[in-house]
Amino acid sequence: MSEKITFTINGTLTTVEVEPDMLLIDVIRDVLNLTGTKRGCDNSTCGTCTVVVNGKATKSCNTPVSKVAGAEIITIEGLAKGMELHPIQKSISESGAVQCGFCTPGIIMELYGLLENNPNASADEMTQALNKHLCRCTGYEPIRDGAVMAQKLMQDRK
Amino acid sequence: MEYKYVGKNYNRPDAISKVTGKAIYLDDVRLPGMLYSAILRPEYAHAKILSIDTSAAEKMPGVVKVVTGKGCHYHYGDNIRDLVPMAVDRVRYIGEPVAAVVADSVAHAQAAVNLIKVEYEPLPVYVDPRDAIKPDAVLIHPENGEYWHLPTLKPIPGTNIANEYHLIKGKGADGFADAEVVIEKDFVYPHGSCSAIEPHGSIVWFKEDRTVEAWSSSICPFIIREDLAHSYGVPVSDVRVHTIDVGGCFGYKSDITVEQTVAWIASFVPGRPVKWVASRQEDYTSTLLGHGMWTHMKIGAKKDGKLVAIQVKVLHAGGAYADTPVNVSMASVHNSTGPYEFDHCDLLGWTIYTNTPPVGAYRGYGHQETQFATERMMDMLARELKMDPWELRSMNYLCEGKVNAQGEKYWKSNGDMFKCADLVKQKAFSTPKPKEDDTYYYGRGFAAIMKSPKGAPFSTKGCYMKMNIDGSVSLNMAGAEVGQGLRTVARQVAAEALKIPPEKVRVYSEIDTQFSPYEWQTIGSMFTTQGGRAIIRAADKLIAILKNTASQVLKVDVDYLEYDGEYVFLRSDPSVRVSVKDINRGYITSDGITIGEMAQSCSDARLPRYSNPDQNGQGSIGVSYTFGMQAADIRIEKKTGKIIVDKVTAVFDVGQVINPKQIRGSVMGGSLMALGATLYEKIDYDENGRILNPHFFKYHLPTYKEAPEWDVEFVETPDPVGPFGARGIGEHSVIGIAPAILNAIYDATGKEFYEIPVTPVMMKSALENKG
Repeated sequence: MSEKITFTINGTLTTVEVEPDMLLIDVIRDVLNLTGTKRGCDNSTCGTCTVVVNGKATKSCNTPVSKVAGAEIITIEGLAKGMELHPIQKSISESGAVQCGFCTPGIIMELYGLLENNPNASADEMTQALNKHLCRCTGYEPIRDGAVMAQKLMQDRK
Repeated sequence: MEYKYVGKNYNRPDAISKVTGKAIYLDDVRLPGMLYSAILRPEYAHAKILSIDTSAAEKMPGVVKVVTGKGCHYHYGDNIRDLVPMAVDRVRYIGEPVAAVVADSVAHAQAAVNLIKVEYEPLPVYVDPRDAIKPDAVLIHPENGEYWHLPTLKPIPGTNIANEYHLIKGKGADGFADAEVVIEKDFVYPHGSCSAIEPHGSIVWFKEDRTVEAWSSSICPFIIREDLAHSYGVPVSDVRVHTIDVGGCFGYKSDITVEQTVAWIASFVPGRPVKWVASRQEDYTSTLLGHGMWTHMKIGAKKDGKLVAIQVKVLHAGGAYADTPVNVSMASVHNSTGPYEFDHCDLLGWTIYTNTPPVGAYRGYGHQETQFATERMMDMLARELKMDPWELRSMNYLCEGKVNAQGEKYWKSNGDMFKCADLVKQKAFSTPKPKEDDTYYYGRGFAAIMKSPKGAPFSTKGCYMKMNIDGSVSLNMAGAEVGQGLRTVARQVAAEALKIPPEKVRVYSEIDTQFSPYEWQTIGSMFTTQGGRAIIRAADKLIAILKNTASQVLKVDVDYLEYDGEYVFLRSDPSVRVSVKDINRGYITSDGITIGEMAQSCSDARLPRYSNPDQNGQGSIGVSYTFGMQAADIRIEKKTGKIIVDKVTAVFDVGQVINPKQIRGSVMGGSLMALGATLYEKIDYDENGRILNPHFFKYHLPTYKEAPEWDVEFVETPDPVGPFGARGIGEHSVIGIAPAILNAIYDATGKEFYEIPVTPVMMKSALENKG
């Protein structure tokens, strides 16, 4: 049976009427048409579906939508303010971290969950966060470079 | 050489759309009235289909149509037409499409597809190519030899050998008579998967006006167009194929893979677009795999280290259909010499039908698999000869005046292997390696590589450019952007050729066969070379148009004129000039009469004198070559056998770096893929041909923590074929990693491996075996 479930997504209060066990990724992509969140695997391994739920990076492919009732969700589409990119987007776009770009939204949301809560996250915390994401293109070095650049920009912003 | 825009870092034109989530990949395409499909896969990897019962599936909610392969009478393929879009009377691998459901949602399609009942009569399953060529083996394709195929291919009817490629240079195997030392060994490079993070997918729409429109995560939209037109009997111009952003390719999206299957399904619901996107499991079981090569290699040399003869026999487990693997097998044969000259070559390759998913490109066609053998053998030979492995190699490198296996003569402009080797030696071997301690053994190894492009003599890349009224330029090409960054390259090359800043060049963002200039397919590390040359040709034509118009405006012969990006001016008096803005749509004279041609141009470029091989495998089938060397610093944990790669050093002679940041990224990414193949990645089958690890949590891709430190550098010996001296690099970095790591394992422990991946269990067991 469908249920009405209400949450805030990218700042907009939204109600969807769906099966409560529908996965958040399907609600985001197919009900709300926010296709920036990607699906790369069948069992929550690759990380590309990551969004931020109540400030925490969360895999949307294993989260039933019933779990996000009342929650504050941010997807990749919710980061830029108009033409102004979020510092993580800016850094990742300039560091060479983008090749095919399919893992990129998940990585940016992971870093957002980490660095918005703790701009002074340690190198180890950064490593733990990024290790949850598979990238087949870059050899990871440019992703680390982008993350470090982003952290600096976020520490400096006031 | 110093250029204004080439050789400098510019950001990717698609970076912003990708970091904002706005880049559109296949699964992001939404069309009015779109239907979704799910595909049934067989229970057996080799079986006859006795019956299919679709009645239960047809009654399920949301189901529009259930499709089987019954009645499908066409085969397709570019090299060997042995493929069918859906199994007709037999299945030949575990991922083959058997039936499909079309429904109003993915969930409805998936719920119904499992209710299709199929009765099979199992047949013997061949996973190992050595079993498939036994004299009593059941034929996977009883029709082998009868299928249409390219005239260069030689199927052996009555066997499971889909193609034999035999290259003879000099005296062939008789050349071993001149050798004083001979070594031989068997090597295995098992099936792996390119494993792009975006799975394969396609949308096909048969329209009421008898045109066909398709979208695919493929890099060969023009081949898909021609193939669908041929299969469905419509003019090529009536098939329109889109390639939008592709979330990684690495080879397995470079041929037709899923498109014909989705087309077959969609042909039953004309008027409605049908989408199908692979699950990760299907991406492993039902698209193309890589590698699968059993290589026997024999090398003969003089006592002083001069290489004399090489004999290679490649048994390639090509999978259930040979259309895509034949090119991989052939390239593995003629590139098996590595970067060395042998006077005598006897190189044989068989593409063998096996009951496994078909093999396609994997960051190149067949280089890494056989050069893995060559580079392990060079270290082994050096030990046999008691020679320094660097010296043995450098005595034999292909270089100016030397002749490769295909009989092609090398020129200085083909690149400098010596410089690559010197740089790697200096970077990775100039300090002593760490001494063995309680926890680890330490080792270093290296491998030299050579790569030719892989294409076809007719392979070409088109370019259309137009200069806009403000002097900016729109550049339209059909190189598929899969992450490799070719649009960045195209932008910088066009800027250099047109003498305008890259910011004034807007490159295409998608390929649409209705509007894009023709490109054969984006493969073989050839875009920079061919596409770059096409850009220069188009730019030259465009500048000529501007000069022609200017010559009328300035009342002077055209050869007195110069162009600098902003003006066309008189060489002897630059103050006599006209702005390109005033002439790029023709020049409007004072009374409105307009003269001169629009500043737009079209061109394309092939490799010069690229040919098919003759019956002995001889011919100019490389033309442009890239040399390089890779080295690995490793640690082996004594307790567990775990191999840790601490550092990878890589140097390639790329002719001319176009974009330093991007090329570094390409080399690191390719090297890490190969590191995965060397230590972790392998498709595991059971004896029934079932794939045991079709998921990321079982098929382990290298993670962030497993990435080594990188030292990447480039030698620049300009190549006259490519733009501004540049040559290809996209696929090269996967070649030298496996032999470098296995050579390092020997350096650390004295243990020899001839097969990858070298797992901790294998390593530990070798360490425990003191022999």
